[in-house]
Amino acid sequence: MLETMRDRGKFWTPVPDWTTARIERDGLSVRRIAGLGQMLISGDLRGAVAGLAPGVSEIGLWSLAEADSYFVRSARDRGLLVTPAPQHVAPGWREGYVATPCDDAYAVLELAGSGLAEMVAEATSVDLEAGSRSAAVLFAGVTVFLYRTAPSTARLHVESPMASYLWKWLDER
Amino acid sequence: MQLFSCPFCGPRDETEFLFAAEAGKTRPEPAADVSAERWSEYLYLGGNPRGATREIWQHLTCGEFFAMERDTVTHVVSVSHSLRGEEA
Ligand SMILES: [Zn+2]
Repeated sequence: MLETMRDRGKFWTPVPDWTTARIERDGLSVRRIAGLGQMLISGDLRGAVAGLAPGVSEIGLWSLAEADSYFVRSARDRGLLVTPAPQHVAPGWREGYVATPCDDAYAVLELAGSGLAEMVAEATSVDLEAGSRSAAVLFAGVTVFLYRTAPSTARLHVESPMASYLWKWLDER
Repeated sequence: MQLFSCPFCGPRDETEFLFAAEAGKTRPEPAADVSAERWSEYLYLGGNPRGATREIWQHLTCGEFFAMERDTVTHVVSVSHSLRGEEA
């Protein structure tokens, strides 16, 4: 058949079927978590959290999130409010802060198992036990927010367009 | 591999950082009165000292700009600190 336009589809990393995609091997399982609420916050973070999700804890790099809702600090004046389901909040300026619902902007991957620390050590070069106020870190060359929900279970949020790349990277270890 | 220290995040790998400028550069004003030579000097010329220097760097994962004092020969970083409320 005459090729009238170059098919660049094959050029890109194939997108996994996220509803079924799993990486399972000795000591590590990875899956995508769908349906969380995610909201970028900037400005007066304390005021924002008090107004949008009173009482939630702030977490940084490799911190343990112990509740369903939490505020992932990414910078001095920014962070990501994570909730079990999307929140219907109008985007824009509030009293001293900006709230931007972005439920689909980041893909959330969960990595779990006894091989977690080893995998994360390969992907990053930060001293996880030393901690960091910001959960934003270079992971396999892309910026993610990285923290834990249990001692051997980590979550990372990566910009959705990078999710296929990161999945492939994890799958090929 | 070298660790740099972001004033907010703490020690991170050098690959998370980007050099921005030598510290102490002041934008010439008003723009209408600034000669092309002065603009060129401001934009493109640096002191590039051998030894101790003070520079502005950005920590890319959190976005923060900060001042870093280091040695261009030994690569030893003596201190990095926040620019909040200070002149660069
Ligand atoms: Zn930082």
